[in-house]
Amino acid sequence: MSATTNAVVFTGDDPSDGMTLLDILDHVLNQGVVLRGNVIISLAGVDLVYLGLDVILTSVETALRHVNATALSPGK
Amino acid sequence: MAAQLTSDGRVLYLYGITESRFGDIPELIGVDRFAPIEAVDCEGVFCWISRVSALDFEKNLASNMENLDWLAETSVAHQRVISAISRLTDILPTRFGTVFRTEQSLCKHVAKRVRGLKKDFERIKGADEWGVKVFTVQPAALPMPSARTGKDYLKAKAALLPSRKPKSIQREDIIKFEQALAGVATETAPAGNVSRGQRGLSFQTSLLVKRTKRKKLESVLEKFAREWTRERRIECTGPWPPYSFVSRPDDKVTSK
Repeated sequence: MSATTNAVVFTGDDPSDGMTLLDILDHVLNQGVVLRGNVIISLAGVDLVYLGLDVILTSVETALRHVNATALSPGK
Repeated sequence: MAAQLTSDGRVLYLYGITESRFGDIPELIGVDRFAPIEAVDCEGVFCWISRVSALDFEKNLASNMENLDWLAETSVAHQRVISAISRLTDILPTRFGTVFRTEQSLCKHVAKRVRGLKKDFERIKGADEWGVKVFTVQPAALPMPSARTGKDYLKAKAALLPSRKPKSIQREDIIKFEQALAGVATETAPAGNVSRGQRGLSFQTSLLVKRTKRKKLESVLEKFAREWTRERRIECTGPWPPYSFVSRPDDKVTSK
């Protein structure tokens, strides 16, 4: 579904439907099944490797804010 | 923490878990845009994986994720795989960047969560996730007032200012909106924090909605959109796989 009806903008779940990267990152980075805590485990004998996504989210947010601020700055 | 790569240089990237395995596995390409998707049977559930480079997805995953171009491409590929499977059966999507070195280790970790996963399958049965956002509409730019002197100009401009102020979102409006959405959704959850900084964003939430109630959701959104037409814009994204409605190992599940 990708349409505008009476001021509601409906967008599908695929980038080709107009989905934004922000929405995708919101879902894939922030939510979903977590089989173990937010730590990088790559020691011998422990097979699961998972990231501390809070750090990554912070850096993505900072980068996006920087991009927005640059776009909104006068004279840019 | 010295990482030793697997002997064949590949790791298993996990997209999600389903209860059933349908006939033909869809011809999907994974996050590396090369390896096909496979189903691994673990403890009576099916884990959807692709075999990817350990260098890119284990050793250098953290630094790759700081590269926004790589992150954008790879997260879109991750979402596309999960979305394609979700069209065939209910899926519990896995968070981006979950990899295992072997099938044995994947199954070992799934075994620890399998009871919780079974409850989650009941929770999401026949339902999709929807994202709803409300934005304050910025007023259109007004024509420059004509005036002979600078003082006249400033007076004319000042006279226009009150009408340009956007109506602030009234808390009661949002409460009514939330209540109406809660009447349609099985559950609600806080929306993600990546898009929290979007300009004009006044409210956002994630909803778990049974597919049979999709029309009802649309009509609630349209009703509020009509009421708010000049002040606010409603955006609705979905249907998403239920990313926000998968319990964490220590979550207490609360639903209607």
